[in-house]
Amino acid sequence: MTYPDPDDPASPARPSVRPFLQPSSSGGYRPAHRVEETVTDQSVSLRPFVITSGRTDGADPGIGMETQVTLNPMAAPVRLSPEMRAIVGMCSEPVSVAEISARLHLHLGVARILVGDLRAAGQLDVHVLDNDTPDPETIMRVIRGLRAIT
Amino acid sequence: MDYEQSPDRHVGTARVGSEDGRPKKAPVPVKIIVAGGFGVGKTTTVGAISEISPLTTEAEMTSASMGIDDPGEASLKTTTTIAMDFGVQTIDQTLKLYIFGTPGQSRFAFMWDDLIKGALGALVVVDTARIDDCYPAVDYFERAGLPFVVGVNTFNGQMNYSLDEVRWALAIREDVPVLAYDARFRGSVRDALLVVLDQALDKAIRQKST
Repeated sequence: MTYPDPDDPASPARPSVRPFLQPSSSGGYRPAHRVEETVTDQSVSLRPFVITSGRTDGADPGIGMETQVTLNPMAAPVRLSPEMRAIVGMCSEPVSVAEISARLHLHLGVARILVGDLRAAGQLDVHVLDNDTPDPETIMRVIRGLRAIT
Repeated sequence: MDYEQSPDRHVGTARVGSEDGRPKKAPVPVKIIVAGGFGVGKTTTVGAISEISPLTTEAEMTSASMGIDDPGEASLKTTTTIAMDFGVQTIDQTLKLYIFGTPGQSRFAFMWDDLIKGALGALVVVDTARIDDCYPAVDYFERAGLPFVVGVNTFNGQMNYSLDEVRWALAIREDVPVLAYDARFRGSVRDALLVVLDQALDKAIRQKST
């Protein structure tokens, strides 16, 4: 994640073929020290689906933005990517997929795929609702709850 | 990318939700959609009712069916990044209300299918200076059968048209409420959402009795 993507044409890490022909160049070989300065921007410019190994679909359609995610208490210790570790780190309290996406600056689609992967790996419990048609009793509770706030 | 929230530790030893060692039961999420054109006060609306400051999620979506405006391009796949603001209001320990603000232009309609799944209802925010901004959202929610309410955001108490005129312009059914509210005030937003919930309740009861 913190490495520049060599295929990204926008990445400044791409070596120039003939650096001494650039106007600002003082000529001759220069070490690629500029990589160090710009590497912090990578999460912004890195194409989001690099994190999911290029997958843009295949997310469980049952996983919505508001779907709640918690740690699986039975999870075995495994090595995870930094993004996945960050997601797991958020889930000690129930949290929605939308919150994971927003707080970790992951695109929603990326967050959905990673959450699905973590469920498949046994790390997270994803609480997909069996019935997503709202029932009157639930709506009444929301109404009472909203009335109570000032 | 910030990882402050992920202490470097092994996953397997992570503590589970509550003190008694049992995992905390996840609350049931419900959601209301707030839709409208740019600058009509969606984010203000979400922020007024949310218990956290509104969060923004970026959704990058690929769609093959976006050529509504331009049929010649219908076969091309297009990727769009849109930002959605959302907030949360905890109702009780087992119930959480999410409020999603979504752009109201028809070119974003492809993602509303996902968004309205399981939604209780929608508040369509209208600025009377640009009423037509909300037409696509009204069209969509009407067709999808999602209960919705038209909320005219009265910036500084000003409205260029009366509610009757707005209703006439939108040509919506008699039973769709049109109301004025002020997106800056929590109580006003709460009351608007309560009208949405009334509509949702009507529909849920109708569905249950059939």
